[in-house]
Amino acid sequence: MSKATAQPLSLKIASGTFLAFWCLIAAFPIVWIAVMSVKSPRDAFAASAWDVITGPATRAAGNGLSLLDIVIGLVVLYFAIRWAFTRLPGLVQQYSPSGFIVLGWLVGAAVYGLIFVLIFFGVLPYVSGALNSIAGPLGTPILGLTTEHYVAVWGENQFYRNFMNSMIVTAGVVTVSLTVGTLAGYGLARSGSDLAFWLLIVALVFRALPHSVLVAGYLPWFINSAEILRPILGDLSPTLYGQPWAIIAVLVAINQPFTIWMLRSFFQNIPAELDEAARVDGCSHFQAFRRVIMPVMWPGVITTGLFSFLLGYNDFLVTALLLDAQNQTMVPAIAGYFNRETTTTDQVEAVAAAVSITAPLFLLVMVFQRQIVSGLTAGAVKG
Amino acid sequence: MYLKKLALAGAVSLLGTSAFAACSYENTVPLKSLTAGFEAWKAVTDAMAECGNFQAELDQEFRTKQPAAFEANPSLYHIGGVSNGTITPLLNAGTIRPLDDLVAKYGANLQPNQLIKVDGKTMAIAMMVNTQHLMYRSDILADLGIDTPTSWDEVFAAADVIAKAGVVDYPIGATMKSGWNLAQEFVNMYPGFGGTFFNADNTTAVNSEAGMNALATMQKTLAYTDPEVLVSDSTYVQQQFQQGKIAMANLWASRAGAMNDESESSVVGKVAMAGAPVAVEGGAPATTLWWDGIVIAANITDEEADAAFRLAMEGLDEDMVTANNEAAIWLINGYVPGDLAKGAIETATASPSAPPYPSTTQMGLLHTALGNELPAFLTGERDAAATLQAIEEAYTTSAKEAGVL
Amino acid sequence: MKFKTFAAFVGPSVFMMLLFIAAPLISVFIQSFQITQPVMQQIEVETCTPGFLTQTCTTEVKTVPIIDEVTGKTQTTTAWVGFQSYQNVLQMDKFWEAIGSGQWRDILQIDFWKALRFTLMFTLVTLPLVIGVGLMIALAVNNAAKSLRGPVIFVSLLPFIITPVIGSLSIYWLFVGDGILTATLERWTGQDIAMFAQAWTIELLMYFYRVWHVAPFAFVIFYAGLQTVNMDTLESAIIDGASRFERLRYVIVPHLMPLIIFIALIHLMDCYRVFDEIIGFRSQAHVISLQWLTFDFLTPDDAGNRAISRAAASAMLTMVGIVVLLILPLRRTWRDHKGGAH
Repeated sequence: MSKATAQPLSLKIASGTFLAFWCLIAAFPIVWIAVMSVKSPRDAFAASAWDVITGPATRAAGNGLSLLDIVIGLVVLYFAIRWAFTRLPGLVQQYSPSGFIVLGWLVGAAVYGLIFVLIFFGVLPYVSGALNSIAGPLGTPILGLTTEHYVAVWGENQFYRNFMNSMIVTAGVVTVSLTVGTLAGYGLARSGSDLAFWLLIVALVFRALPHSVLVAGYLPWFINSAEILRPILGDLSPTLYGQPWAIIAVLVAINQPFTIWMLRSFFQNIPAELDEAARVDGCSHFQAFRRVIMPVMWPGVITTGLFSFLLGYNDFLVTALLLDAQNQTMVPAIAGYFNRETTTTDQVEAVAAAVSITAPLFLLVMVFQRQIVSGLTAGAVKG
Repeated sequence: MYLKKLALAGAVSLLGTSAFAACSYENTVPLKSLTAGFEAWKAVTDAMAECGNFQAELDQEFRTKQPAAFEANPSLYHIGGVSNGTITPLLNAGTIRPLDDLVAKYGANLQPNQLIKVDGKTMAIAMMVNTQHLMYRSDILADLGIDTPTSWDEVFAAADVIAKAGVVDYPIGATMKSGWNLAQEFVNMYPGFGGTFFNADNTTAVNSEAGMNALATMQKTLAYTDPEVLVSDSTYVQQQFQQGKIAMANLWASRAGAMNDESESSVVGKVAMAGAPVAVEGGAPATTLWWDGIVIAANITDEEADAAFRLAMEGLDEDMVTANNEAAIWLINGYVPGDLAKGAIETATASPSAPPYPSTTQMGLLHTALGNELPAFLTGERDAAATLQAIEEAYTTSAKEAGVL
Repeated sequence: MKFKTFAAFVGPSVFMMLLFIAAPLISVFIQSFQITQPVMQQIEVETCTPGFLTQTCTTEVKTVPIIDEVTGKTQTTTAWVGFQSYQNVLQMDKFWEAIGSGQWRDILQIDFWKALRFTLMFTLVTLPLVIGVGLMIALAVNNAAKSLRGPVIFVSLLPFIITPVIGSLSIYWLFVGDGILTATLERWTGQDIAMFAQAWTIELLMYFYRVWHVAPFAFVIFYAGLQTVNMDTLESAIIDGASRFERLRYVIVPHLMPLIIFIALIHLMDCYRVFDEIIGFRSQAHVISLQWLTFDFLTPDDAGNRAISRAAASAMLTMVGIVVLLILPLRRTWRDHKGGAH
């Protein structure tokens, strides 16, 4: 940076303080529910912040961490994070087949997360338990902490089923949404016709529709679809209600306006000369798209894909109403803890579930953080 | 730790399968049920699941889904869980079947008062009753020398003493979350003052003396409750009780068990139950009686209905009640009322007795109107007369739209 | 591009939008002018319900729908009612009455106007806040040391990616009753504070939550935009002696203008259908929004009644509102389209 753009100290301090303050506000509520999730119900909803952090009732129930546990935990955590930033990228590069680096990262992150959970919650408690018994005063618990709610959520309440359903729906939404959206985005970007413009405007108005109206409109059709479609499809006619693929279709449609707007502006920033040159060489529009555009479109597609992921993963209105219990995704399952006749324990378990559902989002942003920024920079949002 | 206890109970009964068969037969017809999600339903559906080939759906959206799902042909579910409120749309649409022949075949163990009869035909099998009752901190009332209140005037007098003593944050807790809960409070209070909800021509009669009295009592409560009472539902009031922040509440009977849960509550053994207070001396308790039970869909084959009813009877048997005695005020043979059920039974057997919640289309409309219009009164934006007027207008609009006027 | 090729490219996308958005929209439009109701009859019914131990039987006259013998479904009639449902939602008579008598505040007693007041205010108050906060974070991050940027961006994105239902609950818990932040505030001020007891504090919390949730989105887009600021222009501005603020005002903000409009567009649309906050903060007693009003009409009561016609009318009114709000930013897109067509 040249001298002229160097900043006075006061500005640096002000900007640093603001940033620190913002980070505190951004992270605090999320960190706080993570703390609540490892306490007994009495501690989790205690009025004093100190009680929530130290968890006296949790400790009294025999669940706690000693000073030694905390030190060991922090050391393992430090090395785990360090390793993730130093060695993991190399391993991923090495083992993922070329051209599938994104997939490699996804698999790498999942495997890493799994190993971390195994070591941290599977192996570590035994090691520190053995050490505590010989460490004397250092080994007595000082911080109340229990993983019973996580065990209850994932074990007894079979939350992994909801997790699988969420994954199916989200994967479906992202794939279909991007396939359909890329084609449409490209078509819209390369067509200067008024029709294209009005399509975009109508799509925008569609995006503004209140979802509750749409969703309530679907329910009778979805439930009666077998009866309605019977004259056409005969006995093969499906009941759409409760089917994950029907939900995927709905969410893709709801997400289309945003997707095509994003991708259109992205494609507009890829010079039209590129595919025109290919056309001159005798390619059709589709061939030009496949040979010339596809190789360079990934930054924009990944960024748009992330937004589709968030929509599919976080959706509540559609999934709550149109899926049955067997195919329930995570968000309505968590909301279910609150809406039915609940106890305080149920609420803390819901908090544990809420923290669990946030973990994959964490991993995802960690992996794709750079791509989001570079994808946006490459022009997915230039108006 | 209800969920855990239940899971444990489930596990124990599963273990029992090999030893003395938790289910007396093996179900071969694939069956599905749609019910609400509270503990009693979990106990019942778990018991049904032991017979095999059964999928239970405990869904918080069941109110929205049930009428549509039962109207489909074939019905998406065979067994439905209803209460006296939610049976109305199914009865109206004729999507549930009469059960008399099935009761004759499999219902030998049913009590006569479990049979919900409409025009002489058994349409549903009740399994439990629920109602509000007075929960109070017996230690505080004893310390301050207060007798158990039996009327709302006594409740307020006691609240005055408790507030003066300053032993808890708020003397009274109330489930006045705007919407359904708040409307339910009015529906409890209003008949207590002798009010009837509807005139003969289906117009509403709440704009009356009894309505004014009910509103006045509700407003009086506000002076003793948490200022955030308009966001507090029964889970929140229960939690306030457990944390020792309130001393009295007219709360659902199904909430009593949580007071003695060691892991959540800091007032174990200090909360006692009494009948719901009356609004006027010598009147009925200011509450309504509810039942929950099962229905069988009409749009399924007779074989399926037969299997579904047989399975339901297996879920509603004595073993299930014995294993989950505290989960509800069961109507089923084998139920042993404990201390916690005392208040609810007192309420249910009071004379004159509290009315059952009316299962009519109009009541649903009125309940919604109440839930939407009452908050403005309690926040002080509108006076009592204008509020009753607004309730009447809101009801009239929706009743006209629904075709009952 | 030929029309046929164009159609092939956009076909699947348009088909899905037509099927799942346009079709319901048209049916909503039609329903807003219709009322469908079951044909009712009055019959005398004896109903027996359980008390404890004994049964109570009552005989009463009930109004129930007639069930068609042939189809087995309830008989219904559908009538065109013109703007009746709109009138039921808007309650114009009361509106004019309130204006005529000078009692302006009475207008806010009517659900629709109450919801409109909050929705508009919510949209317009949070809009500049989101853009301002987003821009400030972007500038601050751009200013920070390279090694810090990664973690800071990660933390900043958290409020945006977290599931809205959970995000609003996590903030609700911090403030409800003796939630730890309320308790801390009470200790500071020495007063008894109840955040959820009156309308204005709830509204404040809702504004805060929305800005907390959306500002990261604005931030990441502005941050991406800042990476492409033309360094030559910036340096020539420095040579011209432009102050730091002037550089921001005349170089950076104009460069980011398309992005600001993009964010404003998205934010207007999302805010105008504010809904999660109402449920998450349980604010129905004090403030309601337009989408919540529609949702409330559509939620069936215990007896299964839902006010479909009024819901349709209120949804159409929401649509009209959003189109009006969007016209301004979209004129620019139209000009761009006319100017920059390929």
